[in-house]
Formats: sequence, C-alpha cells, structure tokens
Amino acid sequence: MIKFLIKRLLEFIPVLLIISFIVFTLVFVAGDPVALLLPEDASQEDIENLREALGLDRPFIVQYGTYLSGLLQGDFGKSFRYNSDALPIVLERLPATIELALSAMVVAIIIAIPMGVWSASKRNSFVDLFATGGSVLGKAMPNFWLGIMLILLFSVTLGWLPVSGRGSWMHLILPAITLGTGIAAEMTRLIRSSMLEILSQDYIRTAKSKGLRKFLVIYKHAFRNSLIPVITITALQTSTLVGGALVTETVFSWPGLGQLLIQAINTRDMAIVQASVFVIAILVILMNLIADLLYRVLDPRIKYN
Amino acid sequence: MSESNVVLNVQQLHTSFKTNSGYVQSVKDVSFQVQKGETLAIVGESGSGKSVTALSIMGLIEKPGVIEKGKIELEQVDLTKINDKEYRKLRGNDIAMIFQEPLTSLNPLFTIGNQIAEAIKLHQGLDTKQAKVNVIELLKRVGIPRAEKVYYSYPHTLSGGMRQRVMIAMALSCKPKLLIADEPTTALDVTIQAQILELMKKLKDENNTAIILITHDLGVVAEMADSVAVMYAGQIVEFADVFTIFADPKHPYTQGLLNSTPKFYEKNEVLQSIKGTVPTSNSMPIGCRFNPRCPYVTQKCLNENPSLKKLDSGRQVRCWLVEEEGETLV
Repeated sequence: MIKFLIKRLLEFIPVLLIISFIVFTLVFVAGDPVALLLPEDASQEDIENLREALGLDRPFIVQYGTYLSGLLQGDFGKSFRYNSDALPIVLERLPATIELALSAMVVAIIIAIPMGVWSASKRNSFVDLFATGGSVLGKAMPNFWLGIMLILLFSVTLGWLPVSGRGSWMHLILPAITLGTGIAAEMTRLIRSSMLEILSQDYIRTAKSKGLRKFLVIYKHAFRNSLIPVITITALQTSTLVGGALVTETVFSWPGLGQLLIQAINTRDMAIVQASVFVIAILVILMNLIADLLYRVLDPRIKYN
Repeated sequence: MSESNVVLNVQQLHTSFKTNSGYVQSVKDVSFQVQKGETLAIVGESGSGKSVTALSIMGLIEKPGVIEKGKIELEQVDLTKINDKEYRKLRGNDIAMIFQEPLTSLNPLFTIGNQIAEAIKLHQGLDTKQAKVNVIELLKRVGIPRAEKVYYSYPHTLSGGMRQRVMIAMALSCKPKLLIADEPTTALDVTIQAQILELMKKLKDENNTAIILITHDLGVVAEMADSVAVMYAGQIVEFADVFTIFADPKHPYTQGLLNSTPKFYEKNEVLQSIKGTVPTSNSMPIGCRFNPRCPYVTQKCLNENPSLKKLDSGRQVRCWLVEEEGETLV
C-alpha cells in the first residue's frame, strides 16, 4: 500500500507541472494587471516602469520559468491587492471552503443514499417516480437561485437562520443545503442505477435463497457493491463541487476560497488566482486519491499494484 | 413409497409473467412429487420453464412474475399460502438452492466464511464463533483443502469448481429437506463436473436429502437421477423413472433429446438435432406445443393440446400418439 501511495504521489508531479503551465498561460493571456494597479491618469512611463519592476515586460517563457522556480520554493507570488504573499492568504480561506464542501457532501449523502436505494428497490413505484423526478429538479435548479430562494424563505420571511457570513453551525445550514442539493440529485441517480444493476446479479439471488431479510439483502449485499462506481464518480466530481462552492460562497458571503478567487479575478490579482487554482487542483487530485484508496478498501478484488 | 415420504408435492403449478402484451405463461400445469432421498431430474432446452419452476418453489419469482395457481407443498405445508416471513424461515433452511453460475453466485465483497455463516447464524441462531466451527466442518465435507484459510478468502481467489463446492456447502449448511440444483455443473469443465456430481451424491446419501436437479445434460441425468421430468415450453411432456426414460422414451421430444446425445458405442455416428427452437411464452403454437418441431405431427396435434396421460408403471406422457393408452391426469 505504501508503494502504491508513493507511486500515486509521484504521478502528481507531471500533473501539477501541466496545471501550473495552464494556469500561468490563462492568467498571462487574461490581461495586464498594471492598468488596474495604477491610477487612470498614470503616464506611459509610469506604466512601463511598473511593468519592468514586476517583470511583466519579459518574454512569456522567462516569466513562466520565474513563476515555476518560485512555485518550487512555495512562492506563488505577491498579491497586488493585499500586498503580501498569495499562498498564505489562499490557505487562510481554505478551511472555510472545506467546511462548506464537506457539509454539502454530508447533506448530499443523507439525501441520496436512502433515496437512491429506496427508489431502486421499489422500481417504477411512486417512491421511484418521486426520487427520479426530485433528482431532475435538484439538478435543474441553479445553485445561486436555490440559495436566494432559501435565504428569502428561511432568513428573510421566517427569520430562522442567518442571511450570510460564517460563524455558528446555523450559518452553515443554508449554504450546505444549497451546494448539497445538486450533488444529492446526481448521487441519487447514480446510486439508483448502480443498485438496479447490482440487484439483478446472481449473488443477490443467492442471498435471497438463504432466507435473508430484504433489508439485509439490500444494505449488506447490494448497497456495498453499488458504492464502487458511486465513489469513483463522486470523486471525479470534486471539481464540480468546488465550482458550485464558488457560486454558493458568493451568494452567502461565505469567506472561503471561492469568494477570494472571484474577487481576485475581478481585480486581476494574478498571484491569488494562480495560487487558488493550484490549491483547488491539488484538492481535486487528493480527492481522487482518497477515492482510489476507498474503493480498494471496499472491494477486495482491487489490489494495490 | 408411502405418502409420508413425500417431501415436495407440486400440483397444477402455473407461473406467469406480466408483459406489455398481457400475461404470458412460463410454466403451465406442472405437477410432480419428490420423495425423501430421491433425485428428480428436470430436463429440457433453455426456455422450457425449468428454472422458473425451481424459482417458483423457492418463492423467488419476482414481479412482474406471479404464481397464478397451483399448490407447492413442502411436507404438507402449502408454500403458496404462507407469508413472506414464514417463507424466509424455510428458504436456506428447509429448501436450499445451488445455482448455475458459481462465478457470479457469490458476493465478491464478502469472505467465503461470512457468506456461509450467514445462513447458519440466521436459521440456527448460532454466534459467529460457533458458526465458524460449523462452516469449516462443512468446507471440509465438500472437499475443500485448507478450509481454515478458505474461510477467510474472497470468492475471486477460488476456482470455479471450488466456488461451486462453496455453494454446495452453503446450500447444505442447514441440512435442507429439499435441495434444488439449477444446472450445477454447466459452467464447470468435465473433470470438475464429475467431482461435483460425486459430491452431491455422497451428501444426498448421508443426509437423505431430496434433490431436484435441473439440467439439459442427459449424461448428468443418467448419472444422478432416480426419476425424470422432461419439460417442453413450460409443460411436463414426459415423466418416468430414469431407466424407462432412457430405455423407452415415448414422447417425440424425449426421443429427440436422446437422439441428439452422443453415445459412447456409436462412433462416427452423425448426431441428430431437433429442428426449430422452443417457442417463446408469447408465441405458443395452437394445439400441442411441440407440433411445429414434431416429426409425427397429425391434424389433431395442430388443433388440440394433449393432456398428460398416466400409462402403465406410473409413467406419464403428454402426446396424442399415446393418448389412447392411458388415463387422463391433467
């Protein structure tokens, strides 16, 4: 297993290199931040001077080389806006985003597992119709709209929950539901179809022929088998989750990475953008690694080699 | 044999499946009895209703399937009348089943020990430790070497033959009165087939278990069966003891099946086949269901379905050609 982990971690290196290149290139072509840093009436000479001071006048490949060598030392550049190193600012915001993403996952799991399993075991019943219809609805509702509707209902009209910000667990409820609904919808469909396939397997018939209760047949013999594709695909969707987090954080003024990233994009704070995207990319890669480890734990047929 | 020796008594079983074009009958008018220690072979081509009959007995017919009518009595208890909870107590305990595909019939995520112990713990109320002792004993009985190690193994680490032994151990774990084996050797290679059949015979003799053996392999029938029910298109077309079936098949379908089997003493003989295929449940021919494929078809066969007639020495045949000879059963 250690060998497997080392191998997987080594595989990260080229992936991260490619990501660094893409991120750098995108920011490079996105435009010159100098115009935003200087007052509107700045002279051409001032602009040139600042460009030179920031190294922005050098060729692309040189700038990338400088950027890369900085990365290797953990230096993601300086934020123009905060006037300090970009990485600590990004990492400071990270826990809030992870908190939101994990809570959304919990919401999704709590909704999706019973719904998916139930609808598969009662195929074509009212429950199934409700779950399938509900998941289409859940998927179709945009995050920002759902967030606003939830704020209007629970915060403005009923006054039960805070409108925005981060602090108590009360603050977490609405953003977690907002972000979790879409994932729950996707997961419900996945679990349903995976369960339907598993329920027609021979070993399910064997389990029934032993005289086991339906509950045991479904949750012991079928559900665990159905989880393998669900985990893989859910892990692959981490990037969708992060994307959703950006929107949700903005709607709820949640002080996370997403909010920071959007502000940074608006102000062309390149270093923050680059550091954020890089951190998000590492998150996605780590989630996939965790999924890999998880389904190896679940399925004895999958070996570490 | 006396009535009290009857383990299973199936009468007039009709099993249907609901489709878009209405109900189609997969099994029609099937009746037979199995005595203690007897092996009844049900033979027929794919689609003849053998497995549906077996699953009906196990109570494992799932929607859209339904047992329309008939009796399935296990030691005088009519299984079509009991509720799901009562059925579960019998399944794996009094009636057990071995399936065709040992490779896919075991759950890949649980150890062999876990899967066999499950039924023992459920029906005999043993704890994990006691169940483990029983499981290892069972594994040894079915001829699995290093049983203690196999207890903790996962199915994918075992060969097909070993897995079928595990399935047999599982089926026999609660000493069932009736064992249904649905093509237990079809997926195995020939040498392993012989070993598995030998094992089933041995275990049957030890426990006096009644066996229903579903197969399309007449070699297996000759090896194992005491009596034989030949099924065609959802109906029993001939029923007799194994010697009578092989020596003097009456139904043209049984004759066809026997003629299409290679014989040891007839070298270089061209094998015969039965022309055509089994009709599907929703396109049954009018009259005798075998008439499109029967070499002796008459006008009567095209119009009327023959009933199952009881002839001398208890054999039963569903054919107009032997109609005059016996009394009508069904």
